Amino acid sequence: MCLHLNFNFGFNSCFMKKSLQKLTIAVSGLVLIAGVNTVNAKEVEHNDLGPKIMIPESSGDKCILPEAEMRRRHPDMLKHDRIQTLREGVRAKADGNALDGSLKQCVNCHAIKDESNKFVRINNDQHFCVSCHQYAAVSIDCFQCHRDIPEGSGDFHALTNHKNVNYSNVVPGTYSLTIKDMANIAPEVNSDDN
Amino acid sequence: MTINIENNNTDKTASDACNSCNREAEADSSRRNFIFGSVAAAGLTVAPGMMLYQTANARSLSDFSLEEGASSKVRWGMLVDTTKEVDWNKCVEACNKEHGLGNEKTSRDDQKTQYMRVVDVKNKGTGYSMSLPVMCQHCENAPCVDVCPTGASMKRADGIVLVDRHRCIGCRYCMMACPYKARSFVHEVLTDQTENTPRGKGCVESCNMCVNRIDNGQKPACVEASEGAIIFGDLNDPESPIAKILAKHGGKQIRADLKLNPGVHYQGI
Repeated sequence: MCLHLNFNFGFNSCFMKKSLQKLTIAVSGLVLIAGVNTVNAKEVEHNDLGPKIMIPESSGDKCILPEAEMRRRHPDMLKHDRIQTLREGVRAKADGNALDGSLKQCVNCHAIKDESNKFVRINNDQHFCVSCHQYAAVSIDCFQCHRDIPEGSGDFHALTNHKNVNYSNVVPGTYSLTIKDMANIAPEVNSDDN
Repeated sequence: MTINIENNNTDKTASDACNSCNREAEADSSRRNFIFGSVAAAGLTVAPGMMLYQTANARSLSDFSLEEGASSKVRWGMLVDTTKEVDWNKCVEACNKEHGLGNEKTSRDDQKTQYMRVVDVKNKGTGYSMSLPVMCQHCENAPCVDVCPTGASMKRADGIVLVDRHRCIGCRYCMMACPYKARSFVHEVLTDQTENTPRGKGCVESCNMCVNRIDNGQKPACVEASEGAIIFGDLNDPESPIAKILAKHGGKQIRADLKLNPGVHYQGI
């Protein structure tokens, strides 16, 4: 019984090894061809390959979370904190800073000005939110009610430098964190950061 | 912005308001005595009026903390003194400015949003007339909260009644339920809202007692514009000027017979 089994295993592994070798050769060949091709493709990539996202620069180079995290989690953050603010009346974090999901403060920093030095409104393709949401075909209705440009209150989030922050406890794509957790993830600006 | 309401419906509300005042006075006296008793211990040497209102009001607002949110220990309320010679339209203007109201372009006048309106009432028998500002009365047992099918119409822990527009589906059931006609519906796409009062088409809205200002430790816009004719404060705190004045001089609630226990009280109606 044992022998029979061993034989079978031996045969299988041998067969797999052979086919694996063939596969490796084929794949490496493909990779080589593909590699040569991408060199050429890169040159035309941004001009010919579909629509581009033109994400405008915001007024600062820092945000409350790194860019990748913000892209993934900003809807959850907004939804989480709107319940806190409106229904429970919580307007600040434990450290006294504004809540992360304050749309007012997002707008204050990310407002884009056009050539005539006026803020662009939500019906303009250059608006920070629109620029990406139009590309992703995700329609947002935040600005049916919320103000789309700054009013001049000058309220800004406590910003953090993207570097030197431990994000290991953050689960990508979720926002089940408490306000306290968020305070730890997005620490206040240190003197080094400025 | 003054609106002379002459239809039967509102006349009835106004006359009911005065009738109920008299009926309310008896029921109120026991409650008033109760509060009065607790105030008496605190000392009555402070004269009621502006002085009292200015000193103690700031204290109760500064106790409020941003991080903890609305507390059920507090019950925000207002006391409107209609006997004072004040142009109530100034309060309405301040309200409109604070919340960015009046930016409708195509709505009819009766569709446009009003958080606060001035109601003129006249006793046809004696010819006596007066006007009073009417806004959301911030009821303890708010009918708008009861009927809302989505939980959008809500009462905060500190007694402020407001609409969560994230949940409002615009069914306008709360407008039907409100006995004070305090709510409005936005009929058109709006632009250029203020950053503190998001508002848009398809949602019901009403006076939110300037919840953004209260959370910042400020008084509501109408209170600041009223030149002392509207007093704002914590009804639960017997030391607050509003509670002291209510305890000493009394106040009336509009349609107190409905037992909704509004947070807005009136003098001189």
